[in-house]
Amino acid sequence: MHEVSICENLVTTVLKELAQGGKGAWRLKKTRLVVGLLHQIVPESLTFAYEVLTKDTPAKGSVLEIRLVPIVARCRVCGWKGEIHDSLFVCGACSGGDLETIAGKELFVESLEVEEHDG
Amino acid sequence: MTAKKIKIKVYRDLMGANDLWASKTRALLKARGIAMLNLISSPGSGKTTLLEQTAALLATRLRFAVLEGDVATTHDAERLARLGVRVSQLLTSGACHLEAKLVHRALLDLPLDALDLVIVENVGNLVCPAEFDIGENAKVAVLSVTEGEDKPLKYPLLFREAKVVVLTKIDLLPHLPFSLPKCLEYIRKVNAALPVIQVSAITRNGMTPWVDWLAAQHRSRIG
Ligand SMILES: Nc1nc2c(ncn2[C@@H]2O[C@H](COP(=O)(O)OP(=O)(O)O)[C@@H](O)[C@H]2O)c(=O)[nH]1
Ligand SMILES: [Mg+2]
Ligand SMILES: [Zn+2]
Repeated sequence: MHEVSICENLVTTVLKELAQGGKGAWRLKKTRLVVGLLHQIVPESLTFAYEVLTKDTPAKGSVLEIRLVPIVARCRVCGWKGEIHDSLFVCGACSGGDLETIAGKELFVESLEVEEHDG
Repeated sequence: MTAKKIKIKVYRDLMGANDLWASKTRALLKARGIAMLNLISSPGSGKTTLLEQTAALLATRLRFAVLEGDVATTHDAERLARLGVRVSQLLTSGACHLEAKLVHRALLDLPLDALDLVIVENVGNLVCPAEFDIGENAKVAVLSVTEGEDKPLKYPLLFREAKVVVLTKIDLLPHLPFSLPKCLEYIRKVNAALPVIQVSAITRNGMTPWVDWLAAQHRSRIG
């Protein structure tokens, strides 16, 4: 359910970009998406939703490539920086809990790979 | 016919359109000194019950309205309307969360000049509502003791984003294997500074700290 609502936004974004190439000029081969682990997305569900939602659109047949970004936090007290696992937002140096999330919340389309046809 | 492969850099945030509406809402509410809270929980955690009890206590302190997010029914809105609460129903027609645009439109239908506080009951779900900024001042994570203690670890985004946790149904603690210390420890591990307000709709324990917290949200909005 989560993946479907995110994918709806994804497909809208992709189609808007594709339209800039002019009518039918660009054929989409690949969509590159960046997703932070805090979003708890199941990549297979997102890929499946992508297939279904692009089926009757100009993005049909394109592949979704998902790059997952680990959760990284910084300690506001001692400056430690490191990856967060198992939802434990605890400083790896001073064991404090005053952490700022600096990566892991990404959710954006990075690039599209298209084929341009002339003639 | 020849085909040339090209890479188009996009860098477009998927929440961009939603966030635009959320910031419109923030500006709208800020200009009027209104605070807005976004209640997020699993279905059945006690959000509507909490609001029913809040209504009587808040009536003499703040002018408030409720936006009820629901997938299909209007039961919750009716429960609150019966108590004289000003409530608007937001039907998401299947969607598992509220989006900023829908909330913004609903706000425009409220008498904003006669309000101090808007409380949004989001659709019952711990994942999607945490993803979508609706222009609130604070997300409130509502968790009941009939759920697992480890919910905070399983849904870290919500507990990272929330400004407070309301732990409901604490009257049931003697009857459940639920470990309160463990739950509090898990909340602290995800978000060390997150305050927890323990409440019960049966004994009415914790209602005063909760209503005080609401009032403080409004004060910090106008102050
Ligand atoms: N024992 C007990 N039951 C509660 C409490 N708060 C809510 N409930 C019950 O939990 C169920 C779901 O409550 P509701 O407010 O509709 O949950 P919502 O889906 O989060 O809005 C109802 O049967 C309530 O009566 C409480 O503090 N103690
Ligand atoms: Mg409810
Ligand atoms: Zn530290």
